[in-house]
Amino acid sequence: MEDLIATADGAVALGMGLTPQSVERRQKVVGLTSDDLGRIARIREPIVRHAEEYAGAFLAYLGELEEARHFLSNREAVELSRRLKVDHMIAMVSGRYDVEYAEQRLKLGRLYSRAGLETVTFLGAFADLLRRVSATILKGARSPEEAFDDFVAFEKIAFFDIGIIVDVMVFERERIISRQQDSIRELTTPVLQIRDRLLMLPIIGMIDTHRARLLTEGLLHAIRANRAKVVVMDVTGVSAVDTKVANHFLQTVAASRLMGATVIVTGLSAEVSQTLVNLGVDLTGLQTIGDLQGGIEEAERLIGYQVVYTAPQVSEGRRPPSPSA
Amino acid sequence: MAVPIMRQRDMLIASIQVAQTDDDLLGLRDQLAAQVGDVRAKGVIIDVSALDVMDSFATRTLRSIAYSSRLRGAHTIVVGISPDVAFAMVQLGLDLGAVSTALDLDDAITELEAHRQIEHQA
Repeated sequence: MEDLIATADGAVALGMGLTPQSVERRQKVVGLTSDDLGRIARIREPIVRHAEEYAGAFLAYLGELEEARHFLSNREAVELSRRLKVDHMIAMVSGRYDVEYAEQRLKLGRLYSRAGLETVTFLGAFADLLRRVSATILKGARSPEEAFDDFVAFEKIAFFDIGIIVDVMVFERERIISRQQDSIRELTTPVLQIRDRLLMLPIIGMIDTHRARLLTEGLLHAIRANRAKVVVMDVTGVSAVDTKVANHFLQTVAASRLMGATVIVTGLSAEVSQTLVNLGVDLTGLQTIGDLQGGIEEAERLIGYQVVYTAPQVSEGRRPPSPSA
Repeated sequence: MAVPIMRQRDMLIASIQVAQTDDDLLGLRDQLAAQVGDVRAKGVIIDVSALDVMDSFATRTLRSIAYSSRLRGAHTIVVGISPDVAFAMVQLGLDLGAVSTALDLDDAITELEAHRQIEHQA
């Protein structure tokens, strides 16, 4: 598990482009100078001393927030984040802000996002943490002016960290979204064979250019693989149709025809058909039938099937066992 | 390379084996137009399964073969358009018009026979 997470961390670092150059760039963006490093060295000792306390306070602050309840219910994540937070506080005043440092922030960010901590909640707790650190700095400083300058230096590091952690959280979210989109794409374009040489293509949800393309390609290959003669394309699950979508349907039908298959479109709802008429889309090239049942019946007729009703048959499995068995 | 044209009862079967130049296609058109009359063919089947590109010229030539054969009494069916070619053609807006299509040779022969029966009845 640890290994898996470490590999995933590496992948995220790569995806985010965390290189020595980009880390240096991030330092420049927050305005970190060698002057600041000197100030941080001055406040190192008290902050390291209080590191455990800060980590505890950070989690305690989250405990007050309802938004973090889900995160805190994950005991393992909480324990791990407490440990990482202590390391974090110590590293923040270490004076070394290289790729390795950035990767540790990345690890923390991934832990938060995996455990479902929202960016806003995290920022709130981090702000509280900064307040505590400022109190420590003020206590140890010779004058308020000095404390202020020291804190500003520390704050730059804090913003450097926030930059990375928020980036990771956003990156993770985007990754989840794109993965879900992929699975939606795969799930909703099945081509089913209902009879020999008769295929059915149920379409559900939104159709965009990309999906329409996948759908058409999938259908064309299925036509060849199953030697289909007729395809019933059911669009009951398509709630919105515009000129573009209608065009995609027409293309699918035309391409299937080139391969010698007839396409019957079924399940155009009242709203959809009215929209199409209002849009002025010419669908005369489409063979449409009201519902799926009608479409299948027509398809059977086209291929030459004749369905005959007989009385219900008792299946073998439901028969009571005979005495000899 | 010239396309071999085979005769199967009253059908002509032209099987395109390799990529064709425009001249080759025109040659095929002329050859088919002549043979439809010579053998009194009722059907023409053009197998394009070996083609992985179908451009506007090829489409137009296939259309004109079909229409001119129709005028000489033969029904034309294009077979073997692959999924990728079909998709590309639609994307490019190429259209075979009223030309019949079938999945493969088998289907085309079945269709031609059905067609002949209808004509007999009429």
